[in-house]
Amino acid sequence: MRHWTEGFEDEDADESLVRPYTITGGRTAPERDDLALITLVTTVSEAFPEAARGRRRMQPEHRTIFTLCKRPLAVAEVAAALNLPVSVTKILIGDLIESGQVLARPPLSFAQAGGFPDMAILEAVRDGLREL
Amino acid sequence: MGYANSDHADAAPLAVKILVAGGFGVGKTTLVGAVSEVAPLRTEEYLTHASVGVDDLEGVGGKSTTTVALDFGRITINRQLVLYLFGTPGQERFWFMWNDLVNGAMGAVVLVDTRRLEVSFASIDFFESRGIPFVVGVNCFHGVRDRTREEIRKALDLDPQVPLVLGDARDRAAGRDVLLALIDHLMATRSRTAPHPVA
Repeated sequence: MRHWTEGFEDEDADESLVRPYTITGGRTAPERDDLALITLVTTVSEAFPEAARGRRRMQPEHRTIFTLCKRPLAVAEVAAALNLPVSVTKILIGDLIESGQVLARPPLSFAQAGGFPDMAILEAVRDGLREL
Repeated sequence: MGYANSDHADAAPLAVKILVAGGFGVGKTTLVGAVSEVAPLRTEEYLTHASVGVDDLEGVGGKSTTTVALDFGRITINRQLVLYLFGTPGQERFWFMWNDLVNGAMGAVVLVDTRRLEVSFASIDFFESRGIPFVVGVNCFHGVRDRTREEIRKALDLDPQVPLVLGDARDRAAGRDVLLALIDHLMATRSRTAPHPVA
């Protein structure tokens, strides 16, 4: 028996959650928790044969990340380019790290460094900003 | 350059971030756009939170998911260092729980609008309670400086050591100056708290 709401346009917020997680094969949490919004992701050179093998199993979104990150991009930039939520993007980037296709460079964690950035970093940021 | 982790210098540059916070409509995305080398990018995240408060009439609680959007920009400092600027989302009660957004920030700029100072109170409280260094940027985009610095400081109940900078968030030079004020503040705080570096 058909429910009376069947066929109605469903504007429920949850609907938008379904498609992104289809891309991840139903996974809703990244297997690794070490990716931050500003972790920089860089594609490993195409010359590596191990990486080439993994590429055959890639989804279109994986290929897009692979191409985008030939120039180092932050996780947030990749998410913006794919138009996918950050958590979904992290799952996809995690796949590419697992298969050795991209490298991730974590940001400096200031909490670990006693809460304050290195003076050399501060000076570099200051000098860079002055040139704006 | 002698950065920590410079043994990775052959790979990606090092990324650092500054948060641009303040209440709704104070000009966060405008400031990010004024200084960013790219048009502000938008990304979103699903945040899961306990549904308590006004929605919770039955006392049932439970979890619900909210989509929170943020705008951010990028400034390439040099080949080894990239600065990201994250404009915090308008819904404060959600981004306050977004650890990935807050963790590892060098510091923050809290933008205020003198006509609606109260919309930025929550951001100031948040950074004070988390011990994250911040400066206050007074967005004078409406061209009216209707309150003195001292009046604004008093109204915000600002610690005397927190810098307060006046400027137009649409103006690149003004945006740069508020960021520079934050860096100077970080340097000053660092030398106050660590007068004798060990290493």
